Amino acid sequence: MEEPRIGVYVCWCGTNIEKVVDVAEVAKAMEKLPNVVLSKNYKYMCSDPGQDLIIKDIKENNLNRIVVSACSPRIHELTFRKTLEKAGLNPYLLQMANIREHVSWVHDDKKAATDKAKSLVAAAVTRVNHHEELQKRTVDINPATLIIGGGIAGLTAALEIADAGKKVFLLEKTNHLGGVVAGIDQSFPYFDSAQQIIQQFIKRIKQHENVEVLLNTKAENITGYVGNFKMPLPMLGIDAELEFGNIIVATGLKPYDPSAIREYGYGYLPNVITSLEFEKMLMSGKIETKDGKTPEDILIIHCVGSRNKNCHEYCSRTCCMTALKFATQLRSALPKANIYQAYADMRSFGKDCEELYLKASQKDIMFLMYDQQKYLPEIRRAPNREKCEMLVEIEEILSGDMVEVPADLVILMTAMEAHEDVKDVARTVGVSLCGNDFFIERHPKLDPVATTTDGVFIAGTCQAPKDIPDSVAQAKAAAARVLSSIDVGQVEIEVTTAFTNEDLCCGCQTCISVCPYKAIGFNEENRVSVVNEILCKGCGTCSSACPTGAIRTRHFTDKQIMSQIEGMLSMTKRKSKKTELEV
Amino acid sequence: MEFQPTIISFLCNWCSYTGADLAGTSRMKYAPNIRIIRIMCSGRVDPTFVLKSFREGADGVLICGCHPGDCHYHEGNYKCLRRFKLLHKYIQQMGIHKDRLRLEWISASEGRQFADLVDNMTERLMELGPSPIKEIMEIA
Repeated sequence: MEEPRIGVYVCWCGTNIEKVVDVAEVAKAMEKLPNVVLSKNYKYMCSDPGQDLIIKDIKENNLNRIVVSACSPRIHELTFRKTLEKAGLNPYLLQMANIREHVSWVHDDKKAATDKAKSLVAAAVTRVNHHEELQKRTVDINPATLIIGGGIAGLTAALEIADAGKKVFLLEKTNHLGGVVAGIDQSFPYFDSAQQIIQQFIKRIKQHENVEVLLNTKAENITGYVGNFKMPLPMLGIDAELEFGNIIVATGLKPYDPSAIREYGYGYLPNVITSLEFEKMLMSGKIETKDGKTPEDILIIHCVGSRNKNCHEYCSRTCCMTALKFATQLRSALPKANIYQAYADMRSFGKDCEELYLKASQKDIMFLMYDQQKYLPEIRRAPNREKCEMLVEIEEILSGDMVEVPADLVILMTAMEAHEDVKDVARTVGVSLCGNDFFIERHPKLDPVATTTDGVFIAGTCQAPKDIPDSVAQAKAAAARVLSSIDVGQVEIEVTTAFTNEDLCCGCQTCISVCPYKAIGFNEENRVSVVNEILCKGCGTCSSACPTGAIRTRHFTDKQIMSQIEGMLSMTKRKSKKTELEV
Repeated sequence: MEFQPTIISFLCNWCSYTGADLAGTSRMKYAPNIRIIRIMCSGRVDPTFVLKSFREGADGVLICGCHPGDCHYHEGNYKCLRRFKLLHKYIQQMGIHKDRLRLEWISASEGRQFADLVDNMTERLMELGPSPIKEIMEIA
């Protein structure tokens, strides 16, 4: 192989890196390292001029190895691999050093941060010396798609893909389609019927020739990789299985159970109900207490289970608007009733939502603000139940007064939370969850419906709480991503798989016993292990188990990682040079 | 000058490296003593990587993987755990204090835990002082 000629680029990321790390000093320190031809710093390496700089340098200086020291490789490794390709270099001759997420964003001390950055970039330089050209592999995309979840997001994505003429398998774990939206009367802010929307969707899905609906079915034991996934269907026979190329996860949300909040008495006070239970009441057309009386005093409590350190710290995003919708619906149904809203902060963002707030506030509704971190409203049975069912004590923070509100009916605006079994789904599709058990997108702004697992997309409230328009938009975006992948027909897959050097292999078969994918077979004739590179996912556990070093994992070879360790610690001073031994 | 330890750390791509990235995007501050190497799975951590790190002058080595049951490759973290247990005994026989090598589980959402872990390990290494291997290898 030709002599390495390395170009090093230290990114400022605007001021993100530059204000903590002395980028010029880092770049200068790299100049002295073996095989480094040039070392530069630039304001935005990922920008077009930044990438053009690399391409120009590769061409003018015959560079054959590139180190980009910038943000996390999880964000821009693909970007820079493409840059290398544009310049005619093999994309795997790149190494990134993460000096933003792992340095400038987590350290304040400039000297220490700069020293750390130097050692990370030096490690990338020593590593890239040992990088090898890897040939990309492409596989055909199976044009069928698996959609997990039959709520509004799953239905939308299914229709979008099926209408484009592609096969969809729609999995729903319950015995009916429609999800949470099927239990909603009207939607905010326009008071159009959610029922009509969802029932139309369900009807179309059931009649669609390209959609196969599987009710009472959970996503389990999915195997394979982008373009070629499989899922067994044991209830349809031993060998029955689904085959599909892409997956959209749209498993939705679960309403929070408010019985854990002592102050609200949900579960033992009969006329304290949740927002979804009230939707049912609206759909039935009868707003009444458990005794069948028309309520005279109605209180709606916001942020039940949301924005509180004892429940969920996040905002569930839809409850404020739903509460305003309820108040408006109540006002037209019961013109004489007293309607109260106990809210923490009114969050009426979104198109025409602030307008709904304004309209609702003109309908003789009493708004009371409480501090959801300190004093929750406390509901108790009224001692004399002739006038009202319950009394609610609220510390109203705008006036500073303790207010006692009568109530015959209390509606709790419950939070959205992840399903209990979401971890099982995450495991079978290979996607990570955030601290609140919502699925993590590949990039919050640049790639919001993709995940870090190729071929797996997310849509709807399994990603984060959101309303119907946002769920539908995300579902359509996920469908578009799937359709474009089907349209291309092929996908490049990771080539960082393992392979055996048959001359070194002693035939001990240790690698076979540790491989989680049964990707290694044994050639009885030559007494050596052989890797099936289609099945191999490149975890590398065989490489670390191999006693002779015969199995290597591409792009994560022993030599590459060892040299990275050396480079990382090369910045520490040595007393003498005589200890330069080889392990 | 106060002794500043150097920690070499191996983080799996799917959980722990992402967790460390999250600490970054959340701007959580932690000790600058750690140097992170990204690997695809904690199962890739060859015991020789750890020995090499000590030999090159690391004062501590930290391995992080997905929580049990959450491994992206099903069971790589268990393989790592088995190797770690043996290696942990082995380094002590070489005169390396047991607290200089740690294996911890960090998920993609545990940025805070990662930052605290680094601080905690750095503090412990400052108490222990420089690795004895550095003396033998004549590393300042």
